[in-house]
Amino acid sequence: MNVRRHLFSAVVSVAVLLCLWLPLAFIVIDSLNANELLATWGGATTRWYGEAVDDESVRSGLRATLTIAGASTALSLALAVSGVLWYRRAGLRGRRAFDALTYLRIMLPEVVFAVALFLLFARLDLQLGTAAVIVGHTVSSSAYATLILRARLSVLDPALEDAAADLGASPWRVFKRVTLPGLLPGMLAAGLLAFTFSFDDVVTSLFLIGTDDAPLPVVILSKIRFRIEPEISAIAILVLVFTVALFAAAFAVVVRLARVSGRSLALPEER
Amino acid sequence: MKGGARALRPLLLLPTAAWVAAFFLVPLAMIVAYSFATISLITLDVSFGLSLANYRELFDPLYLSTLGRSVVLALGATAGCLVLALPLAFFISRQPPRWQRVLLVAVIVPFWSSFIVRIYAVARVIDDGGPLEDALRALSIGSGDLGLAQTRWAIGVGIVYSYLPLMVLPIYVALDRVDRSLLDAAADLGAPARRGFRRVTLPLALPGVLAGCVIVGIPALGEYVIPDVLGGGKTLMLGNVVADQFLKTGNLPFGSAVAVALLAVMAIVLIGQRLARQVVR
Repeated sequence: MNVRRHLFSAVVSVAVLLCLWLPLAFIVIDSLNANELLATWGGATTRWYGEAVDDESVRSGLRATLTIAGASTALSLALAVSGVLWYRRAGLRGRRAFDALTYLRIMLPEVVFAVALFLLFARLDLQLGTAAVIVGHTVSSSAYATLILRARLSVLDPALEDAAADLGASPWRVFKRVTLPGLLPGMLAAGLLAFTFSFDDVVTSLFLIGTDDAPLPVVILSKIRFRIEPEISAIAILVLVFTVALFAAAFAVVVRLARVSGRSLALPEER
Repeated sequence: MKGGARALRPLLLLPTAAWVAAFFLVPLAMIVAYSFATISLITLDVSFGLSLANYRELFDPLYLSTLGRSVVLALGATAGCLVLALPLAFFISRQPPRWQRVLLVAVIVPFWSSFIVRIYAVARVIDDGGPLEDALRALSIGSGDLGLAQTRWAIGVGIVYSYLPLMVLPIYVALDRVDRSLLDAAADLGAPARRGFRRVTLPLALPGVLAGCVIVGIPALGEYVIPDVLGGGKTLMLGNVVADQFLKTGNLPFGSAVAVALLAVMAIVLIGQRLARQVVR
């Protein structure tokens, strides 16, 4: 490492990295601490993990989270795929409007969006609940999915589809045999990202869940508002491991994708 | 594609367009409409119109101070992120590629952990009698009674902690692109290293700094969960005022007006950033 030449920035960097990691380390230690008051180390135990897994609100929370994340991911992918297929052959003005709305969905403060959707449901006398949360998550997740798929589609060569069409394939067959396989890695990355967004989301879920079973992040939120307990730490660690794994998977797919598309981009020039 | 398929092409836009219109644009329009409506606090009936009463209520000292606090907290947290991220990003960009990757992962992985878990981790550390107080006592800085928990400082710490990687990454990318030969040239012409940093590296990293400030500042301004958990659930930031009006008080028109005010502040920030970017160029 190049430390001595940049002593000041090295010291700050080490301090900052420690500050980023230490709080998480404390939670790991809490989750294994047999001392319920967490004041001192009372020996190691897996009791809190047992309690976390047996906690009914955690179980129902996980069920709700997986249902919502699964449904909103599927919807987001459907919206994003058809959207970017349109985008590819759209005019400049259409593209600009499409892009603006995509970015706006990501940039808008979530609390504003959540209460806006809350208003819509209240006004139309629609019931809040799992379905409302799925609708809300899909608005945001589909924007993230769109960004990834748009990037993927821009490196796909339209000549391949034209060739398939010239050879007599029906439009549906061209889509199924040429476009879709080309998009698939991008769909995987976009799907993972959409899933992670939904899995992690607090604000939209909090406003729209109504009286249905709250998803896991909302359950955690209501637990941590006033207390710090080893059981919450155990739940937190389980969630953390799952989220990091999801993100790492999405990241690996994106990196892989970048490499593969880099190669296929190089092909036409070599020919 | 054949003629029939081409005619159907606009249909591809339909799902996204319908979804975004129904569940994004219409709700936002409703927020604006509600912000001009009035509510009877007895029957909770909303009557629409062009009343400015909600916006006038915004100028109540209570809400003005909340607005001010939100802006100060968002600005302060952004500045805090910047002060920490700049040396870190600089340090990373000066390492050999393998170490760069290791350090970037070290910055990103905590960010990948669940948002709510990160907030919980901060609450744990800054809690009264928590590790931070212990550490300060051990180093004999201050009396050991920090009293940080449930204050606006705690909110600032929470925002900096959870948003820091969003500041580090764009600055790192900008620094990584800086042409080293420019620095060599500065050195050859007799500029000391510190001067080379100030006159060459920093200006070239400025676009990354601006991007980072927007990426951190905008969500920080509208933050709801962090003040709710770390600030003790008082009406500390605009996001909490909006949330309270909808979830507790039930004064939807006033809550909508606060939301519109939040959007207005956000728009000002974005326009400011655009102007700043032109100046930088």
